[in-house]
Amino acid sequence: MKKTHAYVFCLSSILILSCFSSAAAQERTLFNAVSISPGIGFEYLSRTINWDDDQYTSKLKSNYFTFDTEIELQGGLFVRAVLGFTTANYRSLVFRQLPLSVDLGEEIGYIGGYLLGAGIKKSIIHSEDLRIDLLGQFFYGIGSKKEWEISELPVEGSLEGRPNWTKVTVGPVFTYTGFETFFPYLYLNFNKFWGRFKMDETIQDLEGSETKKIKGESSFCVSLGLTYKITESFSIKSEARFLPYKDGIDSGIMIKVMYSFY
Amino acid sequence: MKREKFIFTTLLIPFFLFSLNLRLTRLDRDDKAASPYSSQQTKYLLGENLLANSNQNVPEKDSVKRRLQLTRKTREGAAESPPPKMLTKIRPENLALSTRDKKRKKDSFSYQNRIHNINEGNPFRSNGIQYVPDQVLVKFKPSLSAEQREATVAAYQTRKIRRIPSIDIYHLQTPENVSVEEMLYLLEQNPDVEYAVPNHIRHLAITPNDPLFGQQYALYNPNQIVPPGSPQQGIERPDIRAREAWEETMGDDEVIIAILDTGVDFGHPDLDDKLLMNGYDFVNDDSDPTDDHYHGTLVAGIAAAETNNDEGIAGVAWNCKILPIKIADNTGWVDVATEILGIERAVQSGAHVINLSIAGPGYSQPERDAIRDAYNNGIVVVAAAGNSGAGTEYPAAYDECLAVAATDSEDLNTAWSNYGPEIDVAAPGEGIVGPVPTWFWGPGSFPYASGDGTSFSAPHVAGLAALIIGIKGLEEGDILLDDDDILIVEDVMNIIRYTADDVNYGNYPGRDDFIGFGRINMERALVPIIISALNKKR
Repeated sequence: MKKTHAYVFCLSSILILSCFSSAAAQERTLFNAVSISPGIGFEYLSRTINWDDDQYTSKLKSNYFTFDTEIELQGGLFVRAVLGFTTANYRSLVFRQLPLSVDLGEEIGYIGGYLLGAGIKKSIIHSEDLRIDLLGQFFYGIGSKKEWEISELPVEGSLEGRPNWTKVTVGPVFTYTGFETFFPYLYLNFNKFWGRFKMDETIQDLEGSETKKIKGESSFCVSLGLTYKITESFSIKSEARFLPYKDGIDSGIMIKVMYSFY
Repeated sequence: MKREKFIFTTLLIPFFLFSLNLRLTRLDRDDKAASPYSSQQTKYLLGENLLANSNQNVPEKDSVKRRLQLTRKTREGAAESPPPKMLTKIRPENLALSTRDKKRKKDSFSYQNRIHNINEGNPFRSNGIQYVPDQVLVKFKPSLSAEQREATVAAYQTRKIRRIPSIDIYHLQTPENVSVEEMLYLLEQNPDVEYAVPNHIRHLAITPNDPLFGQQYALYNPNQIVPPGSPQQGIERPDIRAREAWEETMGDDEVIIAILDTGVDFGHPDLDDKLLMNGYDFVNDDSDPTDDHYHGTLVAGIAAAETNNDEGIAGVAWNCKILPIKIADNTGWVDVATEILGIERAVQSGAHVINLSIAGPGYSQPERDAIRDAYNNGIVVVAAAGNSGAGTEYPAAYDECLAVAATDSEDLNTAWSNYGPEIDVAAPGEGIVGPVPTWFWGPGSFPYASGDGTSFSAPHVAGLAALIIGIKGLEEGDILLDDDDILIVEDVMNIIRYTADDVNYGNYPGRDDFIGFGRINMERALVPIIISALNKKR
């Protein structure tokens, strides 16, 4: 399974690099933007993560509020930059290598943070009713520091946690362009998620730190979406995501409103 | 019109999906189960003062009195310790009921009856999630055909994990983003469903099957079990929370507890598989550290007796090994020079914990140097504070030792337990049941007894130290090295200190000179502490 992932990742990387190289060949026209589309979006994803060398799994529920800009360049090349806020619930994550083990319980709540992202899309095939693009995206989440008190000890104790994560998606997007105003699409992508949660514990003079490596249980995502052009400039995009893994399917949704300048 | 339809569809679908995630209803979670062990019948063991028993098959009867007060003395005439603590014989074949119990129940109970009763009661842990987050159990009405049931399952977008034919129950997985509560709510609206319930979680109730576990109030005291023969009425859970901790770990068989004492009975059925064979007898200078007293066997059993073996008692550290090192003779005397040899042997043998259930007055620099050497070699040294009702004795008084005071079945500091600023923690030390050598009560007798003293408090702490080392250190390779965030000795000692229950908080809030940071709490030291949004730092 891991070999398959590696093949998909390598293949996708080569394709993206080839996009870049072909884009480089067209350097003269590349940076003449065809359109610029800023947008705001919301995304929710409940994703199964595993940790401690795949020994344990838990659900990571995340919300993303994004501000992004997609620039269409000549030659069917799109680049995208994303900034945003994210909140994530790391419930059931257990830190056993701290001096006193701690378990982020069911009621741990959400940890806020910032999101940075970038994407690149290259049209490969564009027939009358079908367009096939290759889309690669990269996101980096920086969790803000969160502090908790450890109660019920005869001395004072505290915890300080800070998560961060990375997500990479690469794959083809199949868009049906036969309709005038709405465009359903299917995005099949290699979807890799990994991160770290660093927890520092201080109990009087007893100190410890544990960095928990987490990663997504699924590495493949099927996204079904629809882009609806309300006007020539104004459009809405919605997407449902499904990430199958060996014991089930994770899912999420995304909705984005965009305005295009030509 | 067409445009409006698409706007409606585009917006509605994601919002509908999202709203599914919102909890529509919350089912009341199960109330706590009924009070545990309400039917438990505790029979007090027949208290029988060893001193009064002149028919015991014990060598050197005249020395019994000295043997019972195992405080450190020198042969050169160090002051004797205060009066000995009672050693009580356990006689399972002839258990006597207290007067109150006799009134309550005329019939005598068998051993098995008592043990069965102990298993009744609450689930092991009532905190944490109480049912599987994405599963439900559904029973359809019998009138519904198999096809209709399958169609219903599909209609709810649930996935059938299995059908349990004997009771006709469907084990279903809820759709993603639909909580158990929502699913149950939806299913209950369906007239074809007889009932739908969460898939509750039942925690492994780790109650060892050792017959005397019910008498070990120190480990688990849910229903006011009091020491054998004691008129005291215990309070709720004045124990070290061993059962809860065993859910997290029962110890690592690579962790070694060195018992520096009178030796250990190698033939005892509750210890024989736990003993390492590379111990030593520094009293007779040979490699046979067999116990010719009783004290070492009792101490070793408290720390790490074979557990869940249908025999005798449960040890604190189920899986840890015991390294018997004999430093005290058959009268219970031990000198510092012999003690130092024993400590040195424990260091060389790779012990992780040393238990010193010995105590005596007089600072000894060589003794301290030996203990410091053990400490610097990554060994946690646990020592009894002493039983003179006075200042903490040595070696417990050294900074490199965890000094252990004694509490009783009411979590009160015993009058005879030593005190002072050196005390780190306390553990139950009154009426502690444990194994004694098989010859001790005579041929064919039941080789168990209960005893009083900080000697029997210390091995509870030694067992806990071994469990902490096992769960925190061994997974990473070498233990107790101060790098890569692995615990150092002081960390283990601090974990034990800082997780104790400050049971005398009312009179002495915070650390005090009587029980230090408090009576040890194994659950808090070992089981992950659940953090919630309520713990958020302000």
